Order: sequence, then structure tokens, then C-alpha cells
Amino acid sequence: MINAVLVFNNSGQPRLTKFYTQLDTSVQQRLISEIFALVSHRPASACNFLPLPPLLASTTPPPTPNQPHNDTPSLITYRHYATLYFILISTSTESPLALLDLIQVFVESLDRLFENVCELDLIFNFETLHAALGEMIVGGVVVETSLEKVVSGVKGQGKVAKRRETPGIGVGVEGLGAIGRGWR
Amino acid sequence: MFGHDMSWASFHVLEVMSCPKYPQKRVGYLAAVQSFRPDTEVLMLATNLLKKDISSPLPPTMSLPLITLPHIITSSLALSLLSDLLPRLSHSNPNIRKKTIAALYRLALVYPDTLRAAWPKIKDILMDEGEDSSVTAAVVNVVCELGWRRPRDFLALAPRLFDLLVDSGNNWMAIKIIKLFATLTPLEPRLIKKLLPPLTNLIRTTPAMSLLYECINGVIQGGILEGTEGAREGDEIASLCVGKLRGMIVVEGDPNLKYVALLAFNRIVSSHPNLVSMHQDVIMGCIDDLDISIRLQALDLVAGMVNSDNLVTVVERLMKQLRNAPLTTRTADDGRSNVLGVEPVADSDGEDPEETLRPTVEHKDHSPALPTEYRLTIIRQILDMCSKDTYANIVDFEWYIDTLIQLVKLVPATSQSSSESYGSGGRNLSQEADVGSAIGWELRNVAVRVSTVRSEAVRAANSLLAMVRSDDSSFSSGGQGVLTFAAWVVGEYSESSALSYAAMESLVHPRAHTLPALVICAYLQAVPKVLVSAVSDELLCWDSERKTMVSLLVARIIHCLDPLTTHPNLEVQERSVEFLELMRVTSQAVMGHGVENHDGPLLLTRAIPQLFSGFELNPVAPAAQRKVPLPDNLDLDTPINTHLAGLLQRADQDFSLDTEAVEFELFYNQRPTQRAINGPAFDKLPTFEPELETSSYQQTETSLSDADVILRKRNERRERYKDDPFYIGNDDVSSGTSTPFHDILRSTNGEDVDVDSIPIMNLDLGDHGVGIDGSSIDARKQKRKRLKKVHIAKDENIDNESLVINRSHPMAMALHQRAQERAKRSLLQVDSSGLSRFSLDSSENTIGQLDIEKQEAQDNEMAKALAEVERLRLEMQRASERIQATDGAPAEGTMVKKKKKKTTKKLKDATAEPMAQDENKSHLESRQGPEDVAGIPVLGRKKKKMRPATSNPDDEKGVQAD
Repeated sequence: MINAVLVFNNSGQPRLTKFYTQLDTSVQQRLISEIFALVSHRPASACNFLPLPPLLASTTPPPTPNQPHNDTPSLITYRHYATLYFILISTSTESPLALLDLIQVFVESLDRLFENVCELDLIFNFETLHAALGEMIVGGVVVETSLEKVVSGVKGQGKVAKRRETPGIGVGVEGLGAIGRGWR
Repeated sequence: MFGHDMSWASFHVLEVMSCPKYPQKRVGYLAAVQSFRPDTEVLMLATNLLKKDISSPLPPTMSLPLITLPHIITSSLALSLLSDLLPRLSHSNPNIRKKTIAALYRLALVYPDTLRAAWPKIKDILMDEGEDSSVTAAVVNVVCELGWRRPRDFLALAPRLFDLLVDSGNNWMAIKIIKLFATLTPLEPRLIKKLLPPLTNLIRTTPAMSLLYECINGVIQGGILEGTEGAREGDEIASLCVGKLRGMIVVEGDPNLKYVALLAFNRIVSSHPNLVSMHQDVIMGCIDDLDISIRLQALDLVAGMVNSDNLVTVVERLMKQLRNAPLTTRTADDGRSNVLGVEPVADSDGEDPEETLRPTVEHKDHSPALPTEYRLTIIRQILDMCSKDTYANIVDFEWYIDTLIQLVKLVPATSQSSSESYGSGGRNLSQEADVGSAIGWELRNVAVRVSTVRSEAVRAANSLLAMVRSDDSSFSSGGQGVLTFAAWVVGEYSESSALSYAAMESLVHPRAHTLPALVICAYLQAVPKVLVSAVSDELLCWDSERKTMVSLLVARIIHCLDPLTTHPNLEVQERSVEFLELMRVTSQAVMGHGVENHDGPLLLTRAIPQLFSGFELNPVAPAAQRKVPLPDNLDLDTPINTHLAGLLQRADQDFSLDTEAVEFELFYNQRPTQRAINGPAFDKLPTFEPELETSSYQQTETSLSDADVILRKRNERRERYKDDPFYIGNDDVSSGTSTPFHDILRSTNGEDVDVDSIPIMNLDLGDHGVGIDGSSIDARKQKRKRLKKVHIAKDENIDNESLVINRSHPMAMALHQRAQERAKRSLLQVDSSGLSRFSLDSSENTIGQLDIEKQEAQDNEMAKALAEVERLRLEMQRASERIQATDGAPAEGTMVKKKKKKTTKKLKDATAEPMAQDENKSHLESRQGPEDVAGIPVLGRKKKKMRPATSNPDDEKGVQAD
């Protein structure tokens, strides 16, 4: 399963943190900064898999041959888009390459929702950002991988605000009424 | 949300969550997801709200609690929400269905009984051909997560999963199914045959790299390679997989593919090293990759695939890498600024973030400096590779020793310099088993095991010592750990006197005094041994010239040892004092010995050599000690003192309660002292009081009665000396007595002590136990013939199975298990231990139903009681508000009827008297139940059902009233 989804920018400021197992805020911060330290030193040509940060590595037991999987997070996949890093922390039950695709779908769906998405969109419309993630991953389980369905799912929850028109008000009320009829 | 603590706002979050408007509700739920923990207190108040929203008519509202639940779920919350969640599995909207499935999975993790109720429905969804594809995919995801925990329960699903794999065309789902099958195949070998054709087909045809990789991975992990071993299609798929993996490394040039391909290779390598080593060229290429992650993987892989043919090439290549790479510059910013270019800060100006999110295309090309950790990893891997299976892969040991010496030079410098570690003793060396001592370990191991290259090893060790002496710049502080072992090798095996003189030169050099204490200890121990071997041939023909030489040498040693007697480290101090005395005696013997009889002084020719000679040191298997059979006459069961029980009983009776504790302390703390001083040594105790001795472990009851007197005296004394700064308090018996004990040993035993101290260094080789017993038990010495006639001494053992026994030993097993249990749980880890003990077998369902039924029964009862209360209330209301009868009565009347219907016949015979009782009962129950705090909200919910129009204000009141 996926243990956490993180998005932070080039200077390590978090834009989205979603931990599917709850941690203390301070531990979350440490984890983010450790991962950022790892990720920010990687050249663009490097592969998109990170070694475990010290916080996680210290507690990870070595895999045993008769038990192929376990509950400990063992895989950190990241992707770097312009100013943002997208990071997935997951257990060994996820496929590394598929996770890369998942990040791609996530970003593409954001792009579709915001039309040419940028970091500011994510800052001011964090609700839409979280809604998109909520359409794809529930409780660490991936529930949707198709771009269209994610986009329509988020749109179904209400209007997605466009940039430069009163940022902060994410969803209009009339949108809500519309979905109520549309979904039934 | 961005890492700020907002636990103070929990209640407000709850308020927003209960807003009727969807946008506000969404924000509230989002805040709950980000900030609530399963132990957040206000969560108890949210139960009802969650229940309400789960059964909301609007799908968006409905999905909010579904998304939120996994973050806040506790087993009690799961218990109360389960009945509301289950109907959502058959909701008309696929979006809701799939989210419910995912939420149920998380419920099951904390409350395994969820599955008993939910599993049949989930299974139906999976089996349903007409189901929405994304719902099926969600189910497969969940099944895959559950699958590795209890694969046996999911074997029955194999046919359906197989169909999905072949027909679906959804790559994500196919990957998950393959992952699941990989855990299923070990249980059901027939699956392999069935899976092989579609997997092969997928590997051949799929354009999606992720699916291709997972297919190969599934083939590897599912044991399909082993399962089809020998058969034609088995070879076919093996070569197909490996070929594709090679393609992923070579052709694509994508670092991600390289990485995962190496991962896959790593999984094969343990079972099929030959398959992997066919592609050695590609893998070796990856060792020089720019990316450290890839390098590390390749390094692991290389370590797995070495054999005697390619070992030298591989190691040489790694050495070259170590040698050529520039030293690390630990500046954080140089890497980053190169990669990222301008660094926009989104908060400060809105310009840069406007840039669209597009994959970065810039490429950077310079060979990265090797970080220290990576260097250490390489060195360790080289050592591991070479020493694998007791040097099975090494043909040329001289090459190996040479490599070891070069490795020492390549060890990166550690942060603490030698002068710093001087004061703190050997601690920082032993704390982190540093790589220097790992190399030293190897050097010593080779010297011990391979007798043919022993002289070579001694020469190498000698050169290492000389390097330190001459302050060779290539010898960094990181490699100091090797010196301990080098000194030992030199001391133990130096034979030719020329070498010994050189070694002595290094050992007594003043520079040695600045080394870490642990190294100095080894040096000190080696000095007399080297002396013996250095002067051995001088002694053959004793004349005045020789006499001068030897006495000079001894004088030098004394000169070197003298300052060390005041070394801050106790160990160094002790050894130097001992050897200094020995050397002084030797010097006197040499001086006093005449040159007439052409024989050296007896002390040098006989006494000192005998201190260090004895059994030859042979490596002993770690488990050998345990296998030494118990002697027949050893009886551990008979009590030594048969009257112990009675003794203790009487002791209990004699002592009053308050003195008992003190007596026990006397009993147990003083026993070792008593044991130590038996015989004449007793008299030499300077500060020891004879009275204390009376309370001994072995004493009979009569003397125990004196304990009170002793105690009184002791207290008096303590009082007397309380203010005396020169008196160390007597109450800490252990520290007070250890010094005299130490003194006694030193003064009585004198130089004999160094006989005991020899095994301190050699303890890991364990010559003691078997060396003595070995003669009688027929210990086997297995020596292996090697090419070039190299003998590698194997671990000595009593019988052949060595470590295997160790594992299966019950105690070891228990310890191992306990250690595993004790192992700290990782951060971010989901605790699913409850789930792994849980079975989905239908036979157990009957028992499992109990919980759910109980819960339902409880709910029913609660509803009944509440309905009763409601009815009473309504009746009273009706009585008091007869004026509004026209308006209120019809609506309420019908509702009551509805209630009655719902809560079945039992209500019908309810009379006025039981009614009052019921009312009490309901109060009671609302306290007992899981929603004890939520007693009022429950009422609120009922009210809402009656008067839907006013539901919201009521509800809010309900929340706030709590």
C-alpha cells in the first residue's frame, strides 16, 4: 500500500502532505526534510527511486525470504516537475514503475483540472488538490488510475476555481446542486 | 496541513465537519484527515456525524467520510460504523463502491472482524462480470494487499483473477494480479503451468514497461523459475526474462529501468547466479553509473554473482573506482544549484511558480564525488565478496593480501583524528565496527587460516605498522582499526629475526603512543612476542656482542613502556605495568648472565617463550562451543546445599520486616568479596573489616543473628566517616572492594597475569574450549585442498552441521523470535498483526458472525429502548401540548406507528410499568455502549428521523451538548 504522498517545492516547503498512517507533526516534518535532503541532491539524470531516509531505514527489518512482503515502507518514488517534487512512500506490494505512472496520472489530472497547472494553483486550491488525490488513493489503496475518471470525479464534487479569480474560494454552491441532480 | 500542529483546533474542525453545506463540510473533513489521529479525543463525538454522512443521499457528501475514515479509524469506531458502511458496497454509484472497499480494507486492519461481514460482498463484486472496471480494480488492489498476509485464503479466487489478468487490459490491475499470483504460486504449484503462457505472452508483447517488469518480477518471485527448472519452457522463460532485463539496462538508457532491472537481477542472483553472470558486462557498466542508487544496486548484484573466475576483475574494477573518484566535497548546494537552476520561492513572488509543471529535461554530466558511506560500502562489499564461503573464490592469496593493504590506504578519513581518540580510550573504535578493523579482521583471518601465505601476511602487517611509524600520508585515520590486528599478526607469526627487528622498530616507536588506546594494547601485547622471535637466533650462540644487542633492545622496550604506565586508559596502564616488570626482570637476567657457556639466559630462552606458545590457534565455528558434550559426572540438578530452603525460611522468621532488605543486600553484595579473599590474600586487605565476613552466603544461622550488630557498626562507621573527604563511602560495597581485589591479584600473582591475558585478543578464535576438549572428543580438522595447494583452515567444529543447528536450536529460535518481536515497528507502518491471524475460511464464519450479530442485537435493543423513550416523551408532549394537536398529531402519530413496526412485536406488550423500567435501562445502556458519550447525539438522530425538517439544528445541538 501507499504510506504517504508528499508534494513539496524546490525549497522543501510542503504543498501537500498526506500520511495514510498518522505520525506526529514533528516526525512528519523531520521525514519531509530528510527526504528533501535526499531528493534535492539528485541530478536530473538519476533514477526516480530514493534510498530510504535515515528515519525510515533505521527501523526497517531486512526482508525475509519466506515472507515476500511486509508492512514496512520500503520504496520511495519521486518525480520532479518544474518547481515541485511529488513523492510516494509505499510498501513492497506496489510496483515501482507503476507508481511513477501513478504520479504522472496525478499530475496530468491536476493539469487537466487547472488547465496548465502550476504551483500557485496548488497553493490556492488545495481542496481540489486533495480531492484529486482522494479520487485516486483512499486509505493508501489506489482506487482509480484512469485520468478521465479522476477528473470527472473531482469535477463532480464542484466547480474547480480558475486562477486569478478570487483564489481561495474553491467550490461554488451552485455546483453542488448540479451534482446532486447529476449523480442520481 | 503543511506540518503545523493544529490539535488545538480539533473541536472547531468537528464543528465545520458538521456544517450542512458541502464546501464547508469538505474543508472540515479535509482538516480532519490532516490533523486527526485515532487517539484524538473529539473523535468520539464524530461517530454520529460520520454515520449520518455515510448514509447521506448525496454521493459527494457520502464519499467524504469514506475518504476520511482510513485516517482516523479505531477498532471501536470501526465496530460502530461497520453496519453503516456495508450497505454502501451495493450503492449505485461505482465511485462510492470503490471508495467503500478501500475504506473497509483499512477498517479490517484495525478490526479484523470487518472482513467476516464484508468479505462475501467484496467477493461478489469481484466475481461480477458486469461490475464497473475501476471497482474491480479497486477490489483487486485490496485483495492484493490482503493476499500476502494470508495467501491461502485467496487461492479460491485464482480462476477469476486469471480471467481478469488475461482479459482486462488494465495494466495497473494486471500488475496487482501478478503480484498476488507471485504470493499464491508457492502454495499451489499447478498455477505455474497455467500462468506460464499468459505471462510469456505478456512479456513478449506488452508495450508497457511497468507491466513487463512486473511480469518478470512475478516470474522470479513466484518461484516460476524454480518450478519449471529443467523443462523446456522453463529455460525459455528464464532466458526470455534475463534477456528482457538486459534490454532494459542497455537499450532504453532510462535510469529507472536500469534500476528496476538491477533490482530484478538481484532477486535472481541468489538462485541463478550463472544466469546473471552471463550479463556481467552490462552490470559492471552499471557500477560506474552516475547515479548512486544504481551503483549500490549493481554493487549488491556484483557481490552476489562473483565466482573464482571473475573475482579479481570485479575487485580490481571497484578498487579503480575508489582510487579515481575525487574526494567528496560535502557542500550541500553545489549539487542542487546545478540541477535546478533558478530557485523560485512561491510565497514571495508569483512569477516563477507560473511556470508549468513539465518534466525537467536538463542533463547534468560530471562524475559525482563518492560519498563516504558509499566508499565504506564498497570496501565492505569487497571484503564480503572475497571472504565468502571461507575464501572459496580466492585463488591467489598473495593478491588478496596486497588488495587488503591497498584498501587500508583507501579507507576514507574519519572525522575524529587520532589525537582525539587518544584520550577517550578505545571506545570510538569499538563503537562503530569500523571498516579499518574489518580489513584487519580479514588480514588476521588469512594469516590464521592460510598457513602458506602467513609470512606474506606478516610482511604486509609489518608494512602497515611501518606506514604509521613513518607517518605515511596515505594512511588515513580511518584505517587505524587495522593496526590492532596487524600488531597481533606480527606478534604471533613473525619468525625471521630481520622482520622482527623491523616490527619491533614500529612497535616501540614514540609515535605509537599517540594511537588509540585499543591499538596500544595490541602493540603492548605484541612487544614481548616479537622480542622473543627477534632474539631467538641470537640466543643460539651467546657472546658478548649478542648480549649487548639484546640488552639494548630490552632497554629500548623499557624506555618505551615506561611512559605508558601513566596512560589515561586503564587497560594500557595495566598491560604496560605488567610487561615493564617482565622486561626489567629480563634486563637483569641478561645483564647478569655470563657469556661463558654459550647459552642464553634461561628467562629468555625458556620462560618468556613459553608464555606465548601452546596450542596452535585454529578457527572455531561459532556454534562449536555449544556442542561440547557434557561430562558424565557433571550434575547440575542436585542442590549444592540441601538445607537451603529451610535456611531461607528461618532467615525469614528471624528478621523483622525493616531490616530484611538490608540483610539481603549484605547477603548478595558481599558474597563475591568473600570468595575472592580466601587464604593468605585475606590478610592483605587494607580497608576490609573482619566483622563483615561473618555474614556470608555459606554461613549457618548462628552467625546470621549477628547481622544486627554488623549493621549497627556499619552505620556508626558511615556516620564517622561521612565528612571525611578521603574516605569513600562504604555503602557502595562493590566499588569499595574492587580496588583491594585488584591489588591482591596484582601483588600476589605478579607477572603470571599475562598468561591469562593472551586469550583476550584471540577470544573470537576460541582455541580454549575445543583446544582442551578437542583432544578427547575427536575434533575434526577439515582442511581443503585448493588450487596452488593453498590450505584454508575451516572452522573447527565437533560435527559437520554447524550453523544449521544453531538456527534450529530451540533456545536460539526462541531468542530469534523474541528479537523479531521486539524489533521496533517502523514509522509509517500499518499495524496489521491482527489481520494476519484472521482467517476468511467460511467454516469460521459461524463463529465470526457472533460479533456482528451481537452488535446488531445491541443496536436493536438500543433502538428499541430509544423508541420507547421517544414514545414516552411524545405522549407527555401530546398531553401537555394538546392545543397543537391539529398540527402535530398526524405527523407524529404516523411516525410512532412506523417506529412500532420497525422495533417489532416486543413493543406491543409493553405496558406502563415496564415502560418506566425501560427508560432507566436505556439510560444505562447509553452509558455502557460504545457510544457512551454519544448518548445525546443518538437521541438527536432519532429526532431527526421524526422531523427531518429540523434535523440540522438538532444535530448541531447534539454535538455541542456533548
